[in-house]
Amino acid sequence: MGDVETLIVEYRHPISRHDDAAARHDDAAGRHDDAAPPDAEWVTRLSATGRVRAVAVGHLHELMLRAAGHQVGRMPEAGRLGAARRAEIVHSAADAATVSVLSRLESFEGRSRFTTWAYKFAILHAGVEVRRAAWRDREVPLREVPEVPDGRDAAMSSPEAYVEVRELAEAVREGIGAALTPHQRRIMIAVLIDEVPIDVLAERLETTRGALYKTLHDGRQRLRAFLSERGFMSARGPKEVDS
Amino acid sequence: MTEDTVLSRETIARLTLNTEPWLSCDACFEQVDVALEALFGSSVPPVAELRAHLRGCATCHEEAQSLAALVADQYDMAASVAVARLDIAITTAGA
Repeated sequence: MGDVETLIVEYRHPISRHDDAAARHDDAAGRHDDAAPPDAEWVTRLSATGRVRAVAVGHLHELMLRAAGHQVGRMPEAGRLGAARRAEIVHSAADAATVSVLSRLESFEGRSRFTTWAYKFAILHAGVEVRRAAWRDREVPLREVPEVPDGRDAAMSSPEAYVEVRELAEAVREGIGAALTPHQRRIMIAVLIDEVPIDVLAERLETTRGALYKTLHDGRQRLRAFLSERGFMSARGPKEVDS
Repeated sequence: MTEDTVLSRETIARLTLNTEPWLSCDACFEQVDVALEALFGSSVPPVAELRAHLRGCATCHEEAQSLAALVADQYDMAASVAVARLDIAITTAGA
């Protein structure tokens, strides 16, 4: 999954009216079923040849369009992109997902429905494309010092609660400075404080979602150890934010 | 950052979340379809590794919620119910 970019290659519909040789040379046996395959037959038909495969790929592409449209429709950041750009992303993601599914057919083990397995490729591609489009003209902050507004949030109902969280926050800030490597610090601040989407940051840093998540994982462990040594952590998490 | 600023509870929770046991984003992607079907079809909660990952990776979590919503009708559930079931499973099961 971290190699998303390698999955995105040009998609070409296999039953184009104008130039698809498979559709022109199909045999009579291949015409038996133009309906979408039952779940158990997807892999067989997508692995076939001629018209059987072409029809199945067409149905797969329709599934991917549905899933990509669903994903784009769920994302608040997509609303700001405009209808034309959203439609473009849906089609682009569906194309890329179709190619991804076809290239990974052999890895499908039948442990879930084929459609559920395939949907996740469209959701992934559409999600990545929307996040990147939404951040295309935005600067990604990469700072080593967290800068946040006054955090007197609604949950801190009493002055005592505010003081407790403030003490913890100061310990966390100290830990960010002392316990993390510069790389961990920049990534944790960008993703967990500034809320830069991990895909966007991965693209800007020319790395993968998986590599950045590992950095977050390691940084969190270091920060927890730092806080634990200073008495701020219970087994469940920071004492003051447990409740 | 000045003396008068402080990290919010929510931000502190994100920064200090325990994401053990480890699971990569790639492995999460490989497992999420099977886990959702087990949850919705048989009420089997996701394994600890997947729960920890979905709590710690906002993007994988959002995509898992989207998949849950998309397949909800196969289990005669509203999309919002499927998403809620997923979220309850990853935050409470085995905790």
